[in-house]
Amino acid sequence: MNVVTNNDLQCTIALAALENVLDPEIGLNVVDLGLIYRLDFDESGSGIAVTMTLSTPFCPMGESITGSVEQVLKETFAGPSVTIELTFQPPWSYDRISEAGKIFLSR
Amino acid sequence: MSGMSHTVGSNTTHRVVLPFYFYAALAFLAATVLLLQSSSAFTGHFFQPAILAVTHTMALGWGTMIIMGASHQLLPVLAENRLFSVALAYVSFVLAAIGIPLLVYAFYTFQLGWPARWGGSAIVLAIICFVINVWGTLTGGNRDNVHAVYAVTASVWLLLAAFTGLALVYNFTSPFLPQGSLAYLPLHAHIGIAGWFLLLVIGVGSRLIPMFLISKYTNERLLWVIYFLINGGLLTFLFLFFLPPGLSFAWMPIMVVIIALILFGYYCYCCYRERIRRQVDSRMKISLASAGMLLIPPGLLIIVVAVLPAGHVDSRLLLVYGFATFFGWVTAIILGMTFKTLPFIVWNKLYHAQTSAGRSPNPGELADNNLFGVTVAAWLAGSLVFIAGICCRRVPVLRGGAALLVAAAILYNWNVWKVLTHKSPAK
Repeated sequence: MNVVTNNDLQCTIALAALENVLDPEIGLNVVDLGLIYRLDFDESGSGIAVTMTLSTPFCPMGESITGSVEQVLKETFAGPSVTIELTFQPPWSYDRISEAGKIFLSR
Repeated sequence: MSGMSHTVGSNTTHRVVLPFYFYAALAFLAATVLLLQSSSAFTGHFFQPAILAVTHTMALGWGTMIIMGASHQLLPVLAENRLFSVALAYVSFVLAAIGIPLLVYAFYTFQLGWPARWGGSAIVLAIICFVINVWGTLTGGNRDNVHAVYAVTASVWLLLAAFTGLALVYNFTSPFLPQGSLAYLPLHAHIGIAGWFLLLVIGVGSRLIPMFLISKYTNERLLWVIYFLINGGLLTFLFLFFLPPGLSFAWMPIMVVIIALILFGYYCYCCYRERIRRQVDSRMKISLASAGMLLIPPGLLIIVVAVLPAGHVDSRLLLVYGFATFFGWVTAIILGMTFKTLPFIVWNKLYHAQTSAGRSPNPGELADNNLFGVTVAAWLAGSLVFIAGICCRRVPVLRGGAALLVAAAILYNWNVWKVLTHKSPAK
């Protein structure tokens, strides 16, 4: 998954929560899909910066997915401000799908 | 509050897309009812008022309306850009929605005066709005995108087909062309079939098929080869049509298009072979099957061309060719893709920010799978029985086939209605 972070413990909690955010078409969560690139937590605990991508620019499901990422993080960490930066550098590719994700898709 | 460096979500609006789907579903039903009512016309020549009415209901009301609607949703994805103008999309819908029934009524009653002229003009204006929207969306986005080039070219061919059609309508009542309108029908029909339907279906399909299958396969060079083969074939056909000794070489453009279709079939096969997602749902299966069905109409054309030197083409061949095009592969791809794309659009409207596990159904669950299976069975059986009826020239067989197609259209409408009226349990 290779998620870059400045706080390993918080990142583990966040990724566990984000496993509940699914790509609606595929049914696979955003973590195993490899959409999350970076999670940064500010030291006061009042803000989370998410750097993530979508499987394609102008993905029709983009707003749903980013909205749910924001919602889940707010629920998990009791209401911090969540900043989502969408990036397409590097662009998402199928190689970013985790082994668990590949097993899920090959069922 | 979240801040995002890239804007997402509002690339287009479901409000402008859904009316096209709804209208197309009703047009499919209307076309099958017309087919049932006019079954006996299919025992004679192809140029008859009822057959013209059915053909244009299928080509414009069903095929073109749903493809235009889906394009307003998919163009931003293809071009990686926002839809150029939502207002133009509304204007396009209203003009087409008024123009199509007028034109179909004119053909059915064979009153080619004001209803055909006004109807045809409204359709041309609707298509001009559509072409501006396609052009504006695609030229503002990623211009090197092969799928976007397919879409722009297809929309230009559509406009040319519509202009040709309108010219033929005028030529019926106030002749201004060197020959009667019937002589130009192959031109009008093939610009529409190959230039519009085929090019757009391949351009959009080559993007959606790997996306839905989650396939690693990409081959942009092959898609460019297919693009040039289809356009080259069509331009060769136009050249042969106007310059003697055209018909002796008519097999050439057909063979070129057949090669393009075989290559597209190979592309689909490679996408399927290299898919990551092993399970392929029934909607994708019918969409993939339609790629194979693409070969049936040009295969029939080769037979027609082979018979031409003898000076007599059996009208049944031409009727089966037209039927296999509009009720065959065009309908197959629409049946499959409707229930891949429509549930997404409705889902996005209702479950906007509820993609968390257990909070919302999957988009695919909005449509009824069993109903879809029965619809496909009725469509397939109806099409085969109707083709048998054309071949044996038996009205009861034609009526049986048409009745099955009416059933397929009713089931399709029912399923579309279920998706459109789906209510979020959370609300």
